[in-house]
Amino acid sequence: MSTATNTSSGAATSGSLASSVAFRSFATVFAIVTPVIYTACEMRNWPLFTYHPGTNKVDLFWAAAVKDEGPAMYWYGWTATTLIVAGVLGLLATKLPESTMRKIPLSLTWIASLAAIPVLIYALRFFWRW
Amino acid sequence: MGLIPDFILDYVSDNTFWTILFIVHALLAVALLGALTHQAVAVLMPVRQPVGAGVPGFVTRFRAVHGPGYAVAVCVLWIVTFFFGAWIYTKYRMYVRIPIEQAGYWKTQGVFELKEHMAVIGLGLLPIYWYFWKNARNPEYDSARKGVTVTLAAFCWFMFLVGHILNNVRGFGS
Repeated sequence: MSTATNTSSGAATSGSLASSVAFRSFATVFAIVTPVIYTACEMRNWPLFTYHPGTNKVDLFWAAAVKDEGPAMYWYGWTATTLIVAGVLGLLATKLPESTMRKIPLSLTWIASLAAIPVLIYALRFFWRW
Repeated sequence: MGLIPDFILDYVSDNTFWTILFIVHALLAVALLGALTHQAVAVLMPVRQPVGAGVPGFVTRFRAVHGPGYAVAVCVLWIVTFFFGAWIYTKYRMYVRIPIEQAGYWKTQGVFELKEHMAVIGLGLLPIYWYFWKNARNPEYDSARKGVTVTLAAFCWFMFLVGHILNNVRGFGS
């Protein structure tokens, strides 16, 4: 595919991060594993913490809603679990040889994200009531 | 201190604070949607430079944006909009979701949950999105850059529309 003049001209490639092979490895793995880990967290209910908005309290890992104190929120915890685990895996990927990283198709970065959507829609089946 | 810093409540009421936060969240989302849409159209239908072409029309000008120039703005807007949305979510969970469930709007609640999922997955795409656009001269990344940009734009459109629907269901004045 050609991006033609409007998308290719003037691109800044001089920045150290933008030309870093290590950052490319980190970002590639981070993009691929984020939807996988997040989907697992959502389906298996693995929050790093549970937030209780009614009382403004936080519990480590999963905790049930407390009677008469409002609901429990797990989304923040799933997000935290996902970003930390994906970040660690991304950092580990920077230690891999470039030849190994180049074997990973870059298209997986967005395909993994799109592939997670139908799985998450299935995970939300409780809400699809007619 | 709760979800609102105490010093802010010296100047505005609780309701005013959440209203301002929501409006800022929505305006940031509009900016993000515009930037990503321009960029996605630019990669899907790149403008060629035909010799002897006349004055370009609206559609041509719409897709003739300088794509790399949007990359940092999109990343910053996504993160800031995400942060504000996450903040508002605490209020939503207590005062919007519960009445929506009581009214039996299950599908509406379901699409909102999906919106939250997409926001996190989009967050995971930002580093590689930034990297691809900072290396826009490298043809090795052309295909993946197109895929990531269009994916983020599609997520953004879905999230924007769902947010709008939720506000229609139980927004201001409810």
